[in-house]
Amino acid sequence: MQALWDEVATELASVPGIGGQRYVDRHRRRGKLLVRERIERLLDPGSPFLELSPLAAWGTGDPVGAGVAMGIGVVEGVECAITGSDMTYRGGSANPSTVTKSERFYEIARQNRLPVINLNESAGADLPRQADIFVRGGAQFKHLTQLSQAGIPTITVAFGPNTAGGAYVPGMSDYTVFVAGRGTAYLGGPPLVKMAIDEIVDEETLGGAEMHARTSGLADHLAVDEDDALRITRQIVAHLNWSKRGPGPSLPADPPLHDPAELLGCASADVRIPFDIREVLARTLDGSRFEEFKPLYGDKLVCGWGSLCGFPVGILGNNGILFSEEASKGAQFIQLANRAEIPLLFLHNITGFMVGSKAEQGGIIRNGAKLINAVSNSTVPHLDLMVGASYGAGNYGMSGKAYDPRFIFSWPNHRIAVMGPKQLAGVMEIIARNAAAGRGIEVDEEALAGQTAALEGQIETESTALFATGRVWDDGIIHPADTRSVLGIALSAVHSGEIVGADSYGVWRH
Amino acid sequence: MFERLLIANRGEIACRVAATARRLGIETVGVHSDPDRNARHVTVVDRSVALGGASPATSYLRGDAVIEAALATGCDAVHPGYGFLSENADFAQAVLDAGLAWVGPTPDQIRLLGDKVAAKAAAEAAGVASTASIVVEPGDDVPDLPFPLLIKAAAGGGGRGMRVVESPDDFADAVASATREAAAAFGDGTVFCEPFLARGRHVEVQVLGDHHGTVLVLGDRDCSVQRRNQKVIEEAPAPGLANAVRSELHRSARALAEHVGYRNAGTVEFLVGADGTIAFLEVNTRLQVEHPVTEAVTGLDLVELQLRVAAGEALPLGQDDVRLDGHAIEARVVAEDPSEGWLPQTGTVRAFHGPEAVRVDHGLAEGTVIGTDYDSLLAKVIAHADDRTTAARRLASALETTILAGVGDNRGQLAATLRHPAFLDPEALSTALLDDAPELGEASLGDADETVAHLVALAILGRRNGATHGSSAIAGVPDGWRNLRTQGERSTWQPSGGGDPIDVELTADSRGGNFQGEVLVGPVPGVTEDGTLAADERRRLTTRLSVTAADDPSTHAALVELDGVARRVEVRWSSDGRDAPIIVATPRLVTSWQRTPRFVAPTGGSVGAGPVSPLPGTVLAVHASAGDSVEADDVLVVVEAMKMEHSIRAGAAATVSEVRVAPGDRVDAGDLLVSLDVADEGDRES
Repeated sequence: MQALWDEVATELASVPGIGGQRYVDRHRRRGKLLVRERIERLLDPGSPFLELSPLAAWGTGDPVGAGVAMGIGVVEGVECAITGSDMTYRGGSANPSTVTKSERFYEIARQNRLPVINLNESAGADLPRQADIFVRGGAQFKHLTQLSQAGIPTITVAFGPNTAGGAYVPGMSDYTVFVAGRGTAYLGGPPLVKMAIDEIVDEETLGGAEMHARTSGLADHLAVDEDDALRITRQIVAHLNWSKRGPGPSLPADPPLHDPAELLGCASADVRIPFDIREVLARTLDGSRFEEFKPLYGDKLVCGWGSLCGFPVGILGNNGILFSEEASKGAQFIQLANRAEIPLLFLHNITGFMVGSKAEQGGIIRNGAKLINAVSNSTVPHLDLMVGASYGAGNYGMSGKAYDPRFIFSWPNHRIAVMGPKQLAGVMEIIARNAAAGRGIEVDEEALAGQTAALEGQIETESTALFATGRVWDDGIIHPADTRSVLGIALSAVHSGEIVGADSYGVWRH
Repeated sequence: MFERLLIANRGEIACRVAATARRLGIETVGVHSDPDRNARHVTVVDRSVALGGASPATSYLRGDAVIEAALATGCDAVHPGYGFLSENADFAQAVLDAGLAWVGPTPDQIRLLGDKVAAKAAAEAAGVASTASIVVEPGDDVPDLPFPLLIKAAAGGGGRGMRVVESPDDFADAVASATREAAAAFGDGTVFCEPFLARGRHVEVQVLGDHHGTVLVLGDRDCSVQRRNQKVIEEAPAPGLANAVRSELHRSARALAEHVGYRNAGTVEFLVGADGTIAFLEVNTRLQVEHPVTEAVTGLDLVELQLRVAAGEALPLGQDDVRLDGHAIEARVVAEDPSEGWLPQTGTVRAFHGPEAVRVDHGLAEGTVIGTDYDSLLAKVIAHADDRTTAARRLASALETTILAGVGDNRGQLAATLRHPAFLDPEALSTALLDDAPELGEASLGDADETVAHLVALAILGRRNGATHGSSAIAGVPDGWRNLRTQGERSTWQPSGGGDPIDVELTADSRGGNFQGEVLVGPVPGVTEDGTLAADERRRLTTRLSVTAADDPSTHAALVELDGVARRVEVRWSSDGRDAPIIVATPRLVTSWQRTPRFVAPTGGSVGAGPVSPLPGTVLAVHASAGDSVEADDVLVVVEAMKMEHSIRAGAAATVSEVRVAPGDRVDAGDLLVSLDVADEGDRES
């Protein structure tokens, strides 16, 4: 488990300097702060900062981190969604992973009603890759104005260029701050202007901070330097008159009785070795308090009530695969949480629903449908924590990515796929044998064994936590000992919006 | 005994006199100047009369106003404290003429003994040894005395109007300036000169006489350490005196007091040479600043005895009843910062609290403004113990644990002096210790490790805005938590008495509630010209902090372990204000700090290149040209628009880099009229 974390930690350490020392130095030489330094300066003293999807783009060929930082932190006492581009990697230009990550950013801001601060400077799209960026990338501007329409403030600070479409980032924001002599915004840069209308114009006249502050009106504030821009941004947040809509923490936030540092040893590095999910709860919940629901019924799905950082929370955790009893117990529990308007925490360690004739005849589909019905129509915030495997329909039943949980975090041992690599390869082998038998062909055992092994290896690689986080299937891999802090920040963030329980569901298949 | 006493003074001595009066059931009336309107000495008396004015001459030196106040409030006595009117015979006479009692010697005695020249004659007549002494005036010839000479105000004390003249060439200037200073400070410009005994010990004997012929000698004091002839540390009894010398001093003091029939408290001052020879200096016909050390070793309340004598009572004890017990040392905490060249420090006291174990005489309260109108004495701290070394250590420790925030002071240097071997050895003790040991001037409170422990506790526990301002952080989540850390959590702390701000960076490696990790103390490396970061030369300490229970809910207490050494540190806010100083205390050191604002707002209303035309119009006049230095609000250009003249002013102090318009030019709204290079200064933002 430590080895798995070390691999993640090494990747994390590489992210802030991903642009390379030469570009970091060049950036600093221009009197600029790195994006994460800007965030550090922006936050309140003592504020935590939960960086989201720091390893986005891992394994995709795009720079790890996708050239953009985003997360949740406290500014002037207000929990904000903060993002900023990393100018040291290809001039802060957007790659396809950047688009994926920033889509997720606006989704988090919208769902959780978090004011947005955009520390922007970007050369625009990475032009050679425009095919994977241009069409879907435009949604960013829609998100900004829709956030505004929903009453969620948006602040953009222009530290550098905001070119072409990027110019609409300040354009669509409620508040804009431009750094004098640095921030620029124009639809077409001087070369394009020359090409299009044969006007020869310098950058400052075309779209400089002074021009936008004095003439065009795009800049609400003209900051003398980066620090001043951050100061003004804090001032803007201070006057937003912001209050969270959800209830504040209502229960004692005392630490667990069992040391959270032991969480690293709780889970199994090999997801095939089971462990008791209560070991995780004992090291995560306030005071290790857990009121278990139906402990004697459907015991492979542990359900119950507790609190985290003072916020009440309903928990569903896997202690094995889902049978009919587990599925209907979970569906009932989700309804209770919605009635009480309590957020739900799903702890995934699931290899799927039970299969076989006994399960099918016992109505596993019918009962599984209840769980998916409840999960899909539940309106209280869902948080997912991947503490092991999340395979097959088990992922759906546990409110996986496709079911719009507010946040998903993974431990480094996490595995995610339609099924385990060995099972998947084995299934494919059986199908191959059956096909061969149907056609009366002799099986080439050696070739089939090679094919099966290769497939197993491929699925193994494509189901790791790093692979998942690289595709933004989650919001980040966390150190197990950080679970409480991460979920605490996430829970606090979800309470920025109203917590409303569902009062209707799809037709129940009883 | 009196019913109502007017205290014609301010600051610590007014408070101190009021305390005794209150204990004796005497009503108290104070007086105050305009800047002292809310001073502590006004709050500790039953009522206080405004004298108006700020400088001593327009307030506390206005004898007629003081007497008027006493009469108007029905007082029957006036206590002058020290300084101001305390040794003004005419004032004493006027008090008596107004039918009020004067708490001090008779006007004749003040006149005789206050005139240092006449006093020397009286001393000689009484059989007290005396050195040559000549009254001088500006323009006088250089007297026939061995140099260096000391010029002193005949009416004064406390070093005002005092000059050491090294050579005859400097004589005329020194006399002139001493006369000026004496006239300003005491209302009497008479000065005299005498041989300056650089290495003599300054020993004084406390006497007290009544109307019934009793004279008490209440032991001696040594003005152990002075700085440029200003007393800094005093003690009782004088250390290292041979018994014979001590007896001779006491005998001389008594002889002089009896010779003049002295009434009330007075101090006979001597210089004692290394060989034990005694030179009479002067008599102070008032309560001395350093009287508390005598009170400590005698167990007497000198102000009470002064009041009883002034009321005509016989002294309630005889010489045989006077017992001297142990050793007492007083240190004067002044608003002068040794680390800033002894410049007088001004500011507002944000917090003051003296330790319980010692006596602290002061006139300070939160909000007391330390200005330049009055002397720089902030507080006197007095420690009493069985022996001199213990008293010195106790006093040093008391100084180190005194809370004083908002104004620079000399406590660090006092504590270092009290611990200095040359101070602790009476044989080596030199009055000029401070002038001779410049390293003492740079001493700060506490050692480096202790201060670092304070900074660490401050940086970790002081992250929240204040005791009642709550936290911006999320409950249950450790302060400053990061899942991807690029740099530690930085904060900058300013000692609240002044001094350089210090950067602290915390890098936590624990995931629990208490801090465990690395702390860096020192300047954060800046960016060099090529964009790389400068070498990191900060002190690195492995740190563990665990919060412990505090006695007081407004206090955070923690054990701070630095490189394996643990200390209990307390952090608390001196008050509720957002920028209130934060007090940090270990058992042997108390410091106070303010967080340096993280952001500095640029000067001037509008940032940018310069002022623009507010409306479309015509330039009428241009008042600036390139290269000019302009101040904020200076008119640069006048524009006529919509039939009105608009003065376009500089938003901040700046240098004009370009004037872009000329009279008669048409300008549009938003046109930049003058390019300014704004001076690189900033206002602070909290």
